Amino acid sequence: MKKLLVLSFTAALMAPAVLPQDAQKATVAFSDPSRPRKLVVETMSGSITVRGYGGQEAIVETTGTGFRARKGKETEPPAGMHRIGGDSAGVEISEENNTVRISSGPSPFAQAGVVIQVPTQTSVSVNARLGNAITIENITGEIEANNMNGQVTITNVSGSVVAHSMNGKIVASINSVTPDKAMSFSTMNGKIDVTLPASIKANVKLKTNHGDIFTDFDVKLDSTAQPPQVEDNRQKGGRYRVQFDRGTTGTINGGGPEIQFTTFNGDILIHKK
Amino acid sequence: MTCEQARTQMLGESGGEDFAAHLASCESCRNEVSRIGTLWQSLDLLPLEEPSGTVRERFYEMLGAYRQGLASAEPRKAFVWWQAAAAAALLVLGLGLGYGVRGDKSRPEMAQLREEVASMRQLVALSLMQQQSASERLRGVTWAYRAEPSDREVLGALVTAVNHDTNVNVRLAAVDALRRFAASPETRRAVIEALPSQTTPLVQVALIDLLVDFKERSAAGVLKTLAANQGANDGVRQQAQWALEKLQ
Repeated sequence: MKKLLVLSFTAALMAPAVLPQDAQKATVAFSDPSRPRKLVVETMSGSITVRGYGGQEAIVETTGTGFRARKGKETEPPAGMHRIGGDSAGVEISEENNTVRISSGPSPFAQAGVVIQVPTQTSVSVNARLGNAITIENITGEIEANNMNGQVTITNVSGSVVAHSMNGKIVASINSVTPDKAMSFSTMNGKIDVTLPASIKANVKLKTNHGDIFTDFDVKLDSTAQPPQVEDNRQKGGRYRVQFDRGTTGTINGGGPEIQFTTFNGDILIHKK
Repeated sequence: MTCEQARTQMLGESGGEDFAAHLASCESCRNEVSRIGTLWQSLDLLPLEEPSGTVRERFYEMLGAYRQGLASAEPRKAFVWWQAAAAAALLVLGLGLGYGVRGDKSRPEMAQLREEVASMRQLVALSLMQQQSASERLRGVTWAYRAEPSDREVLGALVTAVNHDTNVNVRLAAVDALRRFAASPETRRAVIEALPSQTTPLVQVALIDLLVDFKERSAAGVLKTLAANQGANDGVRQQAQWALEKLQ
């Protein structure tokens, strides 16, 4: 059974609502469409997709529930009874102060994903603890993404991006950036692949412990910042070694706000759009 | 109907039997109505104000003057040698003055100005680091590079960011900004203390790299513990081992 649950919240009515087991879609209105909107997503598990669209509300759809994924079939309630709860990936949605918050509980069985559509002009902050992939597309605003396990994919966005993944790669394609906003991309195990507008003015700070850095931008590298370290032990029968700092800084198009790229195991790729 | 009620009707679309009856019975209201009527009539008699012919003339005069002004400002003569010479002389003079002023720390106004700039930078860094948006906090960390290396408040804010900021990228940037404060033993101590409590591998690696760059031998104990910690991330343990070798 597919139910359409419409939850309309005002600033005065802020009690969080838990979607019933069968509900797969909910719509939440922002209390003041004229003011800046924000979406905050915190999940313990599952994948998260945030997509900008032409409407005015946040549309939340969950795909698959943990309960069913585990049993592999619909569990029929005993005769005369109905289910009021279980170990499904309960999704909680609330709205306060023009910020829609979505959180899902800890459910180790949940393969559930959540797809959230918001108006294009919305700031988005997504935090996944044990989740899979985070996908953010068609958004204009401040974007923050933090993923423990999966990769972070950000496409067709404008504004600013701050993204981290612990064990996944970061792919981001940005159409235009808000002037003066700082940005940052980081991952422990994975490559960072970022596409920036050709006209961007930025100071870049690049660091990879085990990887290479590639770009088709004309990056003016800062030679004065950290000169290579020379180790000369030849007189003592030792070796001669020149070591360059792992961190590299430089400017694109004359410099501007700072963009930081940090990875431990992986390459850094910066494409010109 | 009272006089007061009647008066409210006088100004609008007056009418109704009550109103007529009241007028018939009340002389003062009748006078009032006829006075208002005359006023409207005399207002109608006033001629409509037409823009005089001179308005047009004056506008074009003004426009012409403006164009003339533009034209007279335009013709820039080709670059003359003495202009270049004057500019160069001024530049030399400015540099000389600046150099002289720079060295003179004893002058109280300069010291005060320096202090004001430093406290302004401190304020910007500190307030941006308090912002909700991670991007703004990153900007705050960037401002910390412009603070005085002796600024303990900015150092404190950076250490707080390294230990407690919710965003990994802000923590990473803050670790990097600590290089600015490398001279202070307080900074080194803070980095050593931050390492065991940090749970994000990438930030742990950044702290280890910083200790290596600081050549901080007193970090050996913390690094040994980390390298031996089975629960820690493999990459982090390798990095700690590598750092131990480097610091020996």
